[in-house]
Amino acid sequence: MTRASVVGVGMTEFGVHEKRLAELFADAAFPAFDDAGITGDDVDAFYFGNAMSGLSENDTHLAPKIATHIGIPGVPCQRYEDACATSSNAFKNAVEAVEAGVHDVVLVGGVERCTPETGLDTPEMTRVFASASHREYEQPTGLTFPGVFALLTKRHMHEHGTTEEQLAEVAVKNHYHGSLNPRAHFGKETTVEEVLDGPVVADPFRLMDCCPFSDGASAAIVVSDDLADSYSDPVDVTGVGHGTDCVPISDKEQLSATQAARDAADEAYSQAGVSADEVDFVEVHDCFTGAEVLATEALGLFEDGEGGEAAAEGRTRVDGEVPVNPSGGLKAKGHPIGATGTAQITELVEQIRGEAGERQLDDAEVGLAHNLGGDSATTIVSVMEARA
Amino acid sequence: MTAEEYVVGDRLTYDDWQEALLDGLLLGQECQDCGYTTGAPKAACPRCGSRGIDAVELPLEGEVHSETTIQVPPSGFERGYQVVVVDVGDARVTGRVDDPGVEIGDDVELSEGRETESGVAAVFERV
Ligand SMILES: [Zn+2]
Repeated sequence: MTRASVVGVGMTEFGVHEKRLAELFADAAFPAFDDAGITGDDVDAFYFGNAMSGLSENDTHLAPKIATHIGIPGVPCQRYEDACATSSNAFKNAVEAVEAGVHDVVLVGGVERCTPETGLDTPEMTRVFASASHREYEQPTGLTFPGVFALLTKRHMHEHGTTEEQLAEVAVKNHYHGSLNPRAHFGKETTVEEVLDGPVVADPFRLMDCCPFSDGASAAIVVSDDLADSYSDPVDVTGVGHGTDCVPISDKEQLSATQAARDAADEAYSQAGVSADEVDFVEVHDCFTGAEVLATEALGLFEDGEGGEAAAEGRTRVDGEVPVNPSGGLKAKGHPIGATGTAQITELVEQIRGEAGERQLDDAEVGLAHNLGGDSATTIVSVMEARA
Repeated sequence: MTAEEYVVGDRLTYDDWQEALLDGLLLGQECQDCGYTTGAPKAACPRCGSRGIDAVELPLEGEVHSETTIQVPPSGFERGYQVVVVDVGDARVTGRVDDPGVEIGDDVELSEGRETESGVAAVFERV
């Protein structure tokens, strides 16, 4: 059932940006306004995502600051922070607000800067990201985010026999997809050999198993089902599921299962009335190659333990049976934390409309976005479909 | 000291847990209602929500459940240490190993609680 519609999207290139947060967000919001055929005057509320800028740029209370900068002061503003799932939680709440009739037209989006443009070097930014791990229990061990997903992935390798070569295949595939996406941080293809030759970040992950630190912004215009037909090209939101698991990692029931994603997927599929095999393509949260394997299994696209092999066999390529991350994913498109969720929504909308250029999929009627936060404790899964 | 003697207030806090760890004890909490045992202090059971969770002493020896070696550390840490998740008795705990090389299934034991950049960490070594 249609819960809301997205009638406009916009995003910056992901990469290195000198522009400040508010300026960067304007470069996503204005294209979204133009795509929807609206002006700032039409916006009733602003649902905004930013994860780390309080720590990384000493910049908080960003929603009203950015609203003022982009010419929508006075609308109700709220900011979401759920680590990497930040802007998809903003999106979820925007969908609920228009569905409930609280607002008619909502601007949703996120912005983040993670590159040295923030003034922080790699160890300092690694520490900022590690703030999402358990403060008293995990941070004292020196656990990093590559480390978090390494712990989950190592367990998956142990239980299911997933190999480093299969993980490398995920990177190769996403770099290929990224080479077709003009907004991707990495536009260059890579090879399994090149991935396996890279320096280790946190084993089993080497440099090329990891998404980059990126700057960027993304935005979407969400309206109620009733209003959608008065816009030129609406795409329907038919399900949004939200799952939460325990933090720290040691309290999760099963490290290799990402239970929050499974719960979120169940809820999203149930709302949309679609099953995993009816999904034409997905954007998943591949912050690390192993995370994509865990995600494709949690979403029910492959049996548990078969995600790595499926990637190596090309089943998840743009020309495969279920394309995963046609945008290049976080791995190649980039991962400006708070902008990632609505960037996935942007890719879903563009694919379903048939506007994805070189990476356009043949059959893209039903798309799914899987956006994970922190150590997989937060996951939001959204199903979008061509409007009937 | 016993587990209960480290508990200063109504229930086990991180300060209590850290003090015990610096003394070489690994404390956790066991739920009176569902039996779940956690290795990280809480106000209620993360499985059933019960507030009836008793501070307990966890075994100091266990089996590595997962591990990774951190080569790109946060500021304040030197590269090349291992972070491990360890099954100790009925609980699962997280700590570090200074000299990497332990693998899933290996037996390890607590060697010390250590003050680091961000707090107190459990340090394990191969048995
Ligand atoms: Zn319990």
